[in-house]
This record gives sequence, C-alpha cells and structure tokens, in this order.
Amino acid sequence: MPGPEKETEGNVEKIKQHPFVKKVGFNRVILFCVMILMYLAFAIMVPGFFGLARIMSIMNYVYFLGFLSLGVTFVIATGGIDFSIGPVMFCCGLISGYTLVNKGAPVVAALIISVLIGFLFGVFNGYLVSYWTIPPFIVSMASMNIAKGIAAVYTKTQSVSWPLSNDPAGGWFRNLVSCNGFPVGLVIFLVAAFICMIVLNNTKPGRYILCLGSNREAVRLSGVDTKKWEMLAYVICGTLVGIAAIFFVGAYTTVQPGYGDQYNNEAIAGCVMGGTSMVGGLASIGGTVIGVLIISLLQEGILALGFAKDIQLIVTGLIVIVVVYADVMARRRKN
Amino acid sequence: MADAILTMEEIDKSFPGVHALDHVHFDVQCGEVHALMGENGAGKSTLMKVLTGIYSKDSGTITYEGKEVAFSNTREAQEAGIVIVHQELNMVGDLTVAQNIFIGREFMKGFTIDDKKMIEESKKLFDELKIDINPRDKMSDLTVGKQQMCEIAKAISHKAKVIIFDEPSAALTEKEIEDLFTIIRDLRSKGLAIVYISHRMDEIKVITDRVTVMRDGGYVGTLITKECTKEDIINMMVGRVIYEDPKTESKVPKDAPVVLKVEHLNAGRMVQDVSFELRKGEILGFSGLMGAGRTETARALFGADPKTSGDIYVNGEKVTINSPQDAVKHGIGYLSEDRKRYGIVVQKTITENSTMATLEKYMSGIFINKSEEKKITEKYIKELATKTPSSDQLVVNLSGGNQQKVVIAKWLVRDCDILIFDEPTRGIDVGAKNEIYKLMNRLAAEGKSIIMISSEMTEILRMSDRIVIMCEGKKTGELDISEATQEKIMSKATRDIA
Amino acid sequence: MTKKKSILSDQRFIVLLVIVALIVIYMIFSPEFRKYSSILSMLDFSYYDILMAIGVTFPLITAGVDLSIGTGMVCYALIAGKLIRDFNCPVVVAMLLCVLFGLIVGLANGALIGVMGLPPFLATLCTCMITRGISSMVMATPWPTTKQPGGWFHSIFKLTFGTGRNALKIPIGFLVVVILVLVMEFVLNHTKFGRYTIAIGSNKEAVTLSGVNVKFYHVMAYAICGVFAGLAAIAYAAVVPTVQPGTGAGLELDAIGGVFVGGVSATGGYGSVIGTLAGVFVIVLLKTGLPYVGLQANWQQIITGIVLIGAVMIDVAKRRRMAKEQ
Repeated sequence: MPGPEKETEGNVEKIKQHPFVKKVGFNRVILFCVMILMYLAFAIMVPGFFGLARIMSIMNYVYFLGFLSLGVTFVIATGGIDFSIGPVMFCCGLISGYTLVNKGAPVVAALIISVLIGFLFGVFNGYLVSYWTIPPFIVSMASMNIAKGIAAVYTKTQSVSWPLSNDPAGGWFRNLVSCNGFPVGLVIFLVAAFICMIVLNNTKPGRYILCLGSNREAVRLSGVDTKKWEMLAYVICGTLVGIAAIFFVGAYTTVQPGYGDQYNNEAIAGCVMGGTSMVGGLASIGGTVIGVLIISLLQEGILALGFAKDIQLIVTGLIVIVVVYADVMARRRKN
Repeated sequence: MADAILTMEEIDKSFPGVHALDHVHFDVQCGEVHALMGENGAGKSTLMKVLTGIYSKDSGTITYEGKEVAFSNTREAQEAGIVIVHQELNMVGDLTVAQNIFIGREFMKGFTIDDKKMIEESKKLFDELKIDINPRDKMSDLTVGKQQMCEIAKAISHKAKVIIFDEPSAALTEKEIEDLFTIIRDLRSKGLAIVYISHRMDEIKVITDRVTVMRDGGYVGTLITKECTKEDIINMMVGRVIYEDPKTESKVPKDAPVVLKVEHLNAGRMVQDVSFELRKGEILGFSGLMGAGRTETARALFGADPKTSGDIYVNGEKVTINSPQDAVKHGIGYLSEDRKRYGIVVQKTITENSTMATLEKYMSGIFINKSEEKKITEKYIKELATKTPSSDQLVVNLSGGNQQKVVIAKWLVRDCDILIFDEPTRGIDVGAKNEIYKLMNRLAAEGKSIIMISSEMTEILRMSDRIVIMCEGKKTGELDISEATQEKIMSKATRDIA
Repeated sequence: MTKKKSILSDQRFIVLLVIVALIVIYMIFSPEFRKYSSILSMLDFSYYDILMAIGVTFPLITAGVDLSIGTGMVCYALIAGKLIRDFNCPVVVAMLLCVLFGLIVGLANGALIGVMGLPPFLATLCTCMITRGISSMVMATPWPTTKQPGGWFHSIFKLTFGTGRNALKIPIGFLVVVILVLVMEFVLNHTKFGRYTIAIGSNKEAVTLSGVNVKFYHVMAYAICGVFAGLAAIAYAAVVPTVQPGTGAGLELDAIGGVFVGGVSATGGYGSVIGTLAGVFVIVLLKTGLPYVGLQANWQQIITGIVLIGAVMIDVAKRRRMAKEQ
C-alpha cells in the first residue's frame, strides 16, 4: 500500500549501552550469562559435573549440532526454514559410512562423499525453494522423507559403524574431533563460525541473504539476482550439514537409518535462541553459537541429573517459546 | 449552525517518545462533509483511531448523539454507527463480495450461515447505491475501484450515521472518484455525517463543507470550505505557500538524443503494443486512469514482469531486458509506486539500502568495504537533504518522503541515466512533495532522463516535458507540454470508456 | 468476471484420477493386493492419517501449520494406554482423555500462535518437542486387543462378525471418517468458524478490522486440529500393536503432505476437507501399497517426498499461469 501514514514518528530514546554491549547485542550478552549460570547450576547439582571430561563430552554434541545450526542460520535469515537437516545429516553419515565400511572406499573419499551429499541436498532444496517458489517447509518435508528413504534403501536398513580411533586404516579421521585430548573439533567449529560470521556480515552473499529475508521484492527490483542468493543460502546450509555428519560419526560412531528428526528441532532452536528471526532479515552467528552451547549443556546436564534425555526436549521447547515470544514482543513494541 | 452529532474535545494521546495528539478538537454535523487535513504525521489517522477504539485516549471527551462515549474496539463503534472506510482496502480476497460485506455479522440459520440472504441484502445495497457488482464474485477478481465501492456498501450496511473516509481516492480513477462523489453527496443529502481525509486539495474544494486542519498532533483551526482558498488551507498545514506553477514549455531541445526507445511492447492484457521515446534530460509523463497499464508498462520495460514481445533500445542500441538485473545493467532504475513493498528493505539501514544495487562497486576483494559504502551514502544524504541522524539509521524509522529519498539515492549511487518514477509523491506530505519535484527537475537538468508515472493531473502538468497517455493497456496519445491541457489528456485517457 | 472452471482444473479431480490409477496399477501387478484382507489392512492404517489430516487442514488454511500432531498423537495414545493398563481406566474414559489431551495441546498451540503471535512453525515445533519428551517418559503400553476386555473400541473402525478365518470384517472406520470429512467440509463452508478460518488465511488484518474476534477463531483452528489428533490417537492405538514411546515424529508429514496433495493452497486462504481426504489417500496408497508391487518399503518415503513436491509444483504452475494471463 502506498506509504501509509506514520503517526508515531521520532525515535524512542534508547537506554545508553556500553559500546561493547551494543556491538555484540544486548540479547547475546544475556544469553551468555544464562549459559554460565546454567553451567554453574549443573555443577552445583551434579557432583563431578565440573571438569574437563564433562566439557569434552558436551563438546562432542556441540560440534555436529553447531554445524547444523550454523547452516540453518543462513536459511532462516532468508525467511525460510529447513527441517530436513537432521535426516539429511544421517543420510550423509549413512551413505558415506556404508561406502566406507561395506564397499571399502578410503576414509577421505567417504568424508568427501558426506559433504557432497549434503551439498546436493542443499542444491535440491534451494532450487525448489528459489526457482520453483515452493514454500520452504514443504520442500524440507519432502527432502526429509527422501533423505530417510535413500539412506534406508542404500544401506538396506542397516546401521553403519564408522571405524574407531584405534583402527589403523581409517581411525585417523577422529583426530578431526579430538587429537590426544586436544579439542581439534572446537577449533574447527569456531573457525567455521567465524567464517560464517564474515560471510554473513561482510560479503555480498551475506548482505543479500539478509536483505532478501526482510524484503525480497525490493531486493529483486534493485537488479539483484535474488533467486541465486536464496539458493546459495540452502547450498551453504546443505554443505555444513554434510560437515556436521562427519563430526557426528566422529563422536558417536554409529548411525541408524530412519532417525535424525530430533536434531532439526535442536539445531533450529539453537539458531532461534541466538536471535535469528523467523521473519527473516536478522541473524547472528555469535548468538547461534551460544544457543548451541546452551542446548548441548542442557542435554548433558539433564542426563547427568539422571533424567531421560527427552526431558531436554521439553525444556528446550519451553525455552524457545520464551525466547521467540520475547522477540515477538520486542518487534511489537518497536512498531 | 446545526448541532454536531459527534464532538471530540481536548483529545490527548501520547506514545512513548511522541505526543501524538495534543488537545485536539473536532466535530461533525449531520448532513455535512467535513474534511480532516494535515501533513503526514499530523495526527489525523491517530485521531480517527482514537475515535473508533483502536487506540485508547489519555484524556478528553467524545460526545456522540448527546452522550459521552468511549469505544473499546471497532466493533462497538460500528454498532453505534461510526464506520471507517479504510485507505488500505480491508477485503478478504478469497471470499465473495457478499461474504465480505457481512463479515463479522453473518446472517445465521441456526448453526449455519445464510449465504442466500446475504447475497439478497448485498444486491439491495448495490441497487440503492446504483453500483453494478455481482455479490457472488470473488473479491480478488474485482478492480480496486469496485473493491472500494464494496467497502462503502459495507459501511452503509452498518446503518452508519458517521462515515469516515480515510484517503478514499488514493487508488481510484478520475471516473471512479466522480462516482464516489455522487455517492457521498447522496449520503449527505440523507443526513449522514461524513469525515473526509485526503491530501488532494482539489477534492477538498469540490466535496467538503468544512475543513479542519491539524499540524504536528495539534489542532490548527476549522474553516468553511466556500469561504477559504487553497492557499489558506496549505498555509495552515505547513505555514508557507509552496505551490509552483505548471510548466508551459519544455526546455529540452527538440534534437536531444534519444536515450530510450521502446517499440511494440506487449505484456499480457495490460500492455498492448506500446511504443515511445525518451530523450536526454527529459521528464516524460505517463498519464492515464488507474488500471490503464502504466505501471505494467514500466514493470515490463524494467524486466520486473515477463513481457511477450517488444524491442527496447538504450542509446540507440538494441538490448534484451528479461529481468531487473538486465535493466539495471543498462542504466535503468525503477522507483516503485509501493515503496514499502518494492522499494526499500525497511529493517535495514540507509547504507545497506543505498548500495543495494551497486554492491560490487564497494567491495575490496570478497569483502564489503564498509567505510567506502558509508562515505557514498553520507554524500547522498547530504545531497538529497535526507533527514536522518545517521547513515546507520534503519529505514523503517524514516518518514515517507525521506524513504523515497533513500530509494532515489539507491539509483543515483548506481549512476542510472534513466529513472522511472512510479507515483513518486504518493503518500508523501505536501512539503516533502515539493522537495521531490525540485529534485526531479534538478536531475533532469543534470542530463538524467526521467519517466514519471502519475495519477495526479496537476503533477503531470507541472513536471512533464512531454506526456504519454494510456488507456486500457494501449497508448492513446502523446502531447507536448505546450499543447497539453487537462481536458485534452482526459479525453484521450477515457477514449474507449466513453 | 465469472470464470467457468473446467473440472480438469480442479486439483481434487486430478487426485481422484491418481488414486484410481494407483489402485489399478497395484491390482494388475499384485495378486496379493486384490485380496480383501489387503484392502482391509490398508484402510486400517489410513484412519489415523486421515483423522490427523482433517484436523491439520484448518491450521493450513489459516496459512499456519501444526507440526505437533504426530508426536502428540503418540503421546496421547501412550498416556491413555498406560491409564487403561495400570490404573484400570475404562476404555471410554481413556478415549475421551485422548481427545481432551489433544484439545489441550491444540489450545496451547492456538494460544501461542493466535494470541501471543509466535510463528506457527516454531510454536508447534516446540510443542512437538514437548509432547515427544512427555511420551518418552511413558512406558510402551499396548491398548487392549480385540479379545481382551475393553477391546470393543476396535469395532469403531472394524466390525468383526464370527471368529477365526471365516470372520466377516467390515471396515466401518471408513464410513466414520467419511462422515467426519463431510461434517468438517460443511463446517468449513457454512459456519462462522469455517468462514473465518478461510478469511484469516486470506487477509487476517481485514478480518480483525471487521470486528471479528480473530484471536478466538485462530485458536479454534488449532484446537480443532488438536481434537482430531486426539481422535487419531484412538485410531492409531487400534492398529499399532504397541505404541512406542518417543516416536511419532514424521507421521505429521504424511498428513500435512496429504492436505497439500488434496489442493489446499500452500499460502492459505483456500482448501477443502474432501480434497484432504483424497490427498491423504494418495499418500496412504503409496505408503502401504508399494511393497505389494515389489518395491522396498523405504522407497515409499522417497516417492512420497516426490509426490508432495509434484503436487505443490502443480499449484505453483497453475498460479503462475493465472498471473501471466492477467
């Protein structure tokens, strides 16, 4: 509609914030504090929670979930959604693992296959969403089914176990996760997160991905190939999912066909918790990283407290509701 | 003077940081059309929202039919007989006309909706208003004008005593406006009280009895329309006289090079065999009624919508334009009529919007050079006199006129030589309008070529060097400004309609 | 501007053709499929999908979605099953409780989306996680079998006369769901609730300004969806030997996919429950029928995915053509 009147003009005076806080974002700071508090709470409640072993165990979860979350951050920034990431990750792990174990492919090839499959799913999703304008959630529903189906058909519905670290031929890939107790995975993950942050904030694809999440038509009419950039977001997501699969098998060895759904929820939760908006146009990689840490911490802590793992689902669900509601309220106040 | 059916006194309303209404007074009588005027942000819409219960007032009294009232939602106001016909059409496209008119108060037969009765009642309404609309049609299949008529029918069906028209003519054709005025006069003679909010000075003079002017949330004064001039009203609105005179002759030399030539452009029903030329430094006006195919022509030319056939020449060279990317590559920029949807990314900063079309120029390697970006943005903020605290301001916080300047900056950063302004001043207040006009004239003087699509006759006559007139998807005429008159344009714009 | 619509352009008609074609293909290639018992079992496994789909049609028409129906259904069936086993709860009460749980979760979804304004995906993703978490904490408990006391509830879906091999089994469940479909189709087209559901999907702002209590009807759409998920729980318990804790994720996709195949617009504002029935049937035929023609069961997932994309592609192509004609 032609520019409706804006009666509430003038900017609401903001509370003065420290430049650092302003740069990182107030919500991020709060989120970080929540994380620390949570860790302390678990450390008090669970004897022996405080310690390196526990942190390493949390980290195992952080790696693969982190890559999933980083990927889906790009998609959500465009205003889309992808909840095929969990099953696609399993599909990557299964197919490459099956090729490795049952067909005798070298580990390097298996790793490449894993990333490649993720990439192909990204291309598939992205193409349908951007060039066919099929709503993202329908596309991801379909590719979720397809990923599960392909994995099950290829592996003949068997679970696949990747070589252990003492395996002379293929065990070396586990060094990517942890090498003599040094968390290599953490370094890789943080580097990846940093690259994602640069891509999102300081490069052309990132700028366009964020802008088209906010107003696609305006970007298109500026002479930008929105379809290309939108598709790219899904491709980035898919590729990161392929990498996530490597870290998943690196930490947990066995993959079973037909599963993986729950990781969608956790990855999306981590991303949304970190301040990436479902309405599109707003994304924070730093937030995503903290969100992932919180979810991983939560699942480890709840297990350590002696509850079933699934309580974590309930808690995560509730947290996401609260966080998203806060986001919705903040937007409403702004308007 | 007759007694007022509705009186609002000392209405006060604040939002965080904004004093939106400052002790405003307003009243309307039965059998009168009362205009409510003011620049954007003057508080007109807020006042009406307070009246109909969308906002609650901080203080003041509303007296309606002799009793003090305070509606808590639109429904209560409707039931009491106060109805708004909104500027933005509030129709549910997937439902039929009858279903829309009676939405929220369907006739029921037990548990089920009595659609038959609703259709009958709608027919009666349309007969009464002498409008030809089939109540069974799907709303999204109607033209904007007919949808507006449905809104009015809906308002009347509420047994309304006070009808508020919020910029009703913004999307109507001249002919439809005539129809609208006939209906309004009819309603007035039946003793209804009508509040008419509009930016168009001509209409105010034609249709209203009294004018109340607001400025910056405050009440300025009320005049009897017959006893005042346009300038009086404008002075009250902005405190200065600003109207320029119409252009009488073009300063563009006859032999100026042709920068854009369009031949036999076809795109769907709305663009049929359109050909025209645009010269360097010229402002080419596109006139015609709403739905004449002007925007569609521009969008097809720009590659925003697919075209079926047609040749486009830029600077004498034939070019293929299949997408906005192609158009931008050839130095064409398009400023949409609908800024919020097609022009700006509201949640992003001025900088990000300004360099949207030109990002590759502000890269160092694969990274965006943010300081260069900022520099160029600030240059254009200064040059276009955009009112903003900084280039990091989110565009959503700017007023309509300043948002338009950001869009213009986007194309100037890109250094486009051909600019298509589609309704450049829609929804922009009088003061900012004038600035946009000056800017367009300056750009043309600097050698840019401009296509200006406008539904306002005064705007067309004031700005254009030449005028192309369209009607029902076809080009029906072309006039030089020296020979153009309102009558000539009108006759060409309505050629086939009769 | 009244346009005559040819029957061919109605997606429901195309879907019907697909159903017939699938059945014919199966019949030709699989002698097994021609048996009455196969058809019976296929129908048995279709009821819960159909019931979920009827429900989720409403949120989808409002341009929302409910991802919690699958895990929700399993969760209700589990809790009710546990009550029957361990607390001697009569089956009737358990069934009512299923519906009640569904209603509660539906209302919660509705409140989150309609009142608090959360995006439907996220809100229902959260309730999906929550119901799944709850269901994981309940031990797997089978509902009574046909022969056990309380097993009468199976007769809602399958009437059995006689015993053993010669027992006559009538799939009256199909009749039940068809009646429910017709009732809900009527509700959608001829009641305020239905009309506002469509209107919310088409232009929510306009409905609000018309003085309609939009929040109420928005919540109602999700509540209805929840109630049908509760009904689906009963149907699910009737056919699945043991309801497994923590499962159910992915089941909602069959139902939602069916709705889209049935022609509900992916952007809301248009839909029909009869179309949903037809659409779900396509999915069910693919799900249960493919093994009969010698395809591994897992191919079904792949094909379902492709069919879903295909159905929406038709919708997209149709709309593009319409846009081009204008």
